Amino acid sequence: MHTPTETDRAQYRNVWVIAEHRDGKLKGVTFELLGAARRLADARQSEVWCVLLGSGVRALAGECIARQADVALVMDDPRLAEFVDELHADALTKLIEKHKPEIVVCGATARGRALIPRVAVLTNSGLTADCTGLDIDPETGVLLQTRPAFGGNIIATIKSVSHRPQMATVRPRVMAEPEPQTARKGRVISEPLPTAVQHAARMKVLQAITNTAEGIHLADADFIITGGRGLRGKKGFELLRRFAHLVGGAVGASRAAVDAGWIDYAHQVGQTGQTVQPKVYMACGVSGQIQHLVGMQSSDIIIAVNKDPNAPLMKLADFAVVGDVFEILPAMMDEIRRV
Amino acid sequence: MQHHIDKKMFHIEILSPKQKSQKLEEDLASFADKYRRAFDAGHVICIPDNPMGNLAFQGIELIQELGLPVHGDQVSVHINTFHTKRDLDAMLTAACDLGISHMLVISGDGSPRLPKLTGKEVGYDVEAVTSVELLRYIRREYPGKFHIGVAFNPYEPQDHELEKMHRKVDAGAEFITTQPVIESHPAVESLWQFGLPVVIECWMSKKIHLLSECVGYEIPEDTPYDPVSNLQTLMAKYPKCGFYLAILGFKTQFPILKDVWK
Amino acid sequence: MKIVVCIKQVPATHEVSIDPETKRLKRESVEAEVNPFDLYAIEEGLRLRERFGGEVVALSMGPPQAQWALREALSMGVDRGLLLSDKAFAGSDTWATSYALARAVETVGAVDLVLCGKQAIDGDTAQVGPGIAAHLGWPQATYVSHVQDAGAKHLTVTRMNEDGHDVVQIDLPAVLTVVKDINTPRVPKLRDCRTALRAEVAVLTADAVRAEPARIGLDGSPTRVVKINPPPPRGGKTLVLDGSPAETARRLVHELRMKSLV
Ligand SMILES: Cc1cc2nc3c(=O)[nH]c(=O)nc-3n(C[C@H](O)[C@H](O)[C@H](O)COP(=O)(O)OP(=O)(O)OC[C@H]3O[C@@H](n4cnc5c(N)ncnc54)[C@H](O)[C@@H]3O)c2cc1C
Ligand SMILES: Cc1cc2nc3c(=O)[nH]c(=O)nc-3n(C[C@H](O)[C@H](O)[C@H](O)COP(=O)(O)OP(=O)(O)OC[C@H]3O[C@@H](n4cnc5c(N)ncnc54)[C@H](O)[C@@H]3O)c2cc1C
Repeated sequence: MHTPTETDRAQYRNVWVIAEHRDGKLKGVTFELLGAARRLADARQSEVWCVLLGSGVRALAGECIARQADVALVMDDPRLAEFVDELHADALTKLIEKHKPEIVVCGATARGRALIPRVAVLTNSGLTADCTGLDIDPETGVLLQTRPAFGGNIIATIKSVSHRPQMATVRPRVMAEPEPQTARKGRVISEPLPTAVQHAARMKVLQAITNTAEGIHLADADFIITGGRGLRGKKGFELLRRFAHLVGGAVGASRAAVDAGWIDYAHQVGQTGQTVQPKVYMACGVSGQIQHLVGMQSSDIIIAVNKDPNAPLMKLADFAVVGDVFEILPAMMDEIRRV
Repeated sequence: MQHHIDKKMFHIEILSPKQKSQKLEEDLASFADKYRRAFDAGHVICIPDNPMGNLAFQGIELIQELGLPVHGDQVSVHINTFHTKRDLDAMLTAACDLGISHMLVISGDGSPRLPKLTGKEVGYDVEAVTSVELLRYIRREYPGKFHIGVAFNPYEPQDHELEKMHRKVDAGAEFITTQPVIESHPAVESLWQFGLPVVIECWMSKKIHLLSECVGYEIPEDTPYDPVSNLQTLMAKYPKCGFYLAILGFKTQFPILKDVWK
Repeated sequence: MKIVVCIKQVPATHEVSIDPETKRLKRESVEAEVNPFDLYAIEEGLRLRERFGGEVVALSMGPPQAQWALREALSMGVDRGLLLSDKAFAGSDTWATSYALARAVETVGAVDLVLCGKQAIDGDTAQVGPGIAAHLGWPQATYVSHVQDAGAKHLTVTRMNEDGHDVVQIDLPAVLTVVKDINTPRVPKLRDCRTALRAEVAVLTADAVRAEPARIGLDGSPTRVVKINPPPPRGGKTLVLDGSPAETARRLVHELRMKSLV
């Protein structure tokens, strides 16, 4: 095995975004990545390519172009209809070997995190996980990838100097989505499913089930609404559940609420419960003992709703709402539904 | 249980070795040594159940595996709600077989690493199993086998805490053990209404700041604290109560206990 | 069924921090434990053995002290532990780590199934499981929450994604990475911990698994960690909203909407 040389590396050009789609629709993370890819490609004076693997995905090419792709690279084949890790990875590997992108980015989603590590091994390239920042080093032209590790306790900068492509998965909802520009022009390149990849799949999807509601895990939720003693009982948590349902979030609880038997331990956030790091952490009637704070303080945005403006959590919060949970939450729900 | 107080038997907490110990045999030997000393001196040995969610060995398996003596009266194991139903029943059965008669039933601190009893398993339609359901379960399935105590926290809002205590007492609690008390705490007096023996916890480490987590307010690290004199203060203030000694030093404190409660 | 469970020893996270002066990770003094997600993989291996018979081997790559992680797996009930340990592995990124682990799986031989945790709580990449599958050329299923059924040649499993879950049938040999929903890991018993402490843990070097020197350690790792920083401090001040509920709601929802959070 050899490490690529300078001349090998020079053959690699362009920034690829691996699109994610479901039921014929592109996912938001794809647009976010296209926005980031545009910035990187401009810095490298190269192009943004959006890779569409799947069945019926040709139809999505125009949308990718409207969102900053210069090229839509399409592999449209009924055998790619379901996500079969091995098949998709082998197909993508062939595309990479043929077209030699310099940078490949993909959403750090369940699919992306299953697919790309496999491709990184097959293409002998470096892969940085779950990035929250991507930049080009102005001196060397190398991709600088920043990512949280150790559960958000540190931020690491990682690069892959000698191997190509440089690969990264990127955390959804971190990068800004570019507005669509319907007048943008781009090329569409279609590739067949390579014969070498048409081997009988060793995995088949028997059933694909979409979740209805509930069941969002604390650890995975982007929006967590937590209740403490201030909720005064089980009824309070029903209100929280309705709120969580409306915003697509999960319900958490402080130790006090769990000890009171109002909600199950599985919802407890804090030192003897779970550690969470959502985009929005909204604590209702939670005073914010240090044992609770250690479990949620690295959330992006913290909102505290409490009658007592001096509660420790009100000091830590980005938004400290002084008021009654039972008035504030219904008002917010009205407002969310209204607009 | 009242006779523990009448006979001036201390409740002595002995922490069991941690699951992750890399010097387990040493820890076991030290546990056994403390256990025997407390036992021989006629005290009650209290063995917590994964306190603060730190995984440690169960009192009952320690007694079995190390072949420690049990006198019906002298051992109290803590049992919380973080067990599988199977493990819980195995423990309770073993406790009966060993003749362990006392236990402290608590909701427990818990840890994501531990299983949690469900209402369905113990036969109650509840959102969450707390000390109350566990107590009722043990009373129902092991009638007459154990003297069961419950925990009281003077540092929580008292209306809430006393309401919970009523439930615990209704479920069949026979004694009450408090969180550590420093000198005195007005909330303790509200326990007289239940007419049950009360055991007051006394923190026997000089490092009183370690209590911050349990009392819910910050105790500065350099706060001076003399555990033995606090114990004496408590004994004078609450002459009808028993005493639970946490983090007891076996080198210097243990030998003088016999002179403290005469 | 012959099962290899890959387990990583990690620092107990909440204690990891950055030394503000040296800007380096402070992890020396920190206690180590089995990556919590890997406990679910161990437990699932044990349950599959209970259902279908066979052998469960725990495999860890790391420095000599990673044997403690293997002993923990042994105390839970795996048949044997393998420590992949060699200075030559130092500095491996996920490419090189998964390569080395794949070589070790081949050395074990005749393996039907490799189980990994969802991700390690330190490196946090979730890349090693799929990496092993790629190096072995085996099919994979990630984020598995349930193993429904096993035939001689395949498994039927449920895998999770953001929108729901898929039921998939996967040929053996295969690699699965598992999530917490799959089971509740057992808590080892004292007796089993004592036995595990005395058990033999085989050590495999890079040579023993025939790992090519150019593919392991720093040399075999395409990525480089160039900088490690503490996370940026929490931005901004607290904005106090104490108007009427309607006003507050309007303001808050507006703020959240601006950031596409509702
Ligand atoms: C001396 C002592 C020893 C301890 N030892 C241990 C130990 O070994 N291991 C350990 O893990 N922890 C231990 N603890 C800590 C203890 O677990 C915590 O303090 C605990 O959370 C308090 O639990 P509790 O048993 O008092 O029950 P609580 O959680 O205070 O009691 C549960 C209460 O909730 C009430 N409730 C249930 N459903 C409802 C409802 N729907 N609405 C309103 N109320 C409801 C119940 O009626 C019950 O009264 C100990 C504490 C003390 C004081
Ligand atoms: C701050 C920081 C950031 C890093 N970022 C990256 C990065 O972006 N890309 C990259 O390639 N490397 C990265 N690394 C290196 C990476 O952490 C190591 O290669 C590590 O050995 C494996 O990755 P992980 O901890 O992410 O494991 P994961 O891939 O998250 O682990 C998944 C599963 O694989 C198994 N497993 C993982 N490691 C072992 C092991 N040593 N022995 C047995 N089983 C194991 C376990 O079952 C585990 O649950 C980073 C390291 C640090 C310190």
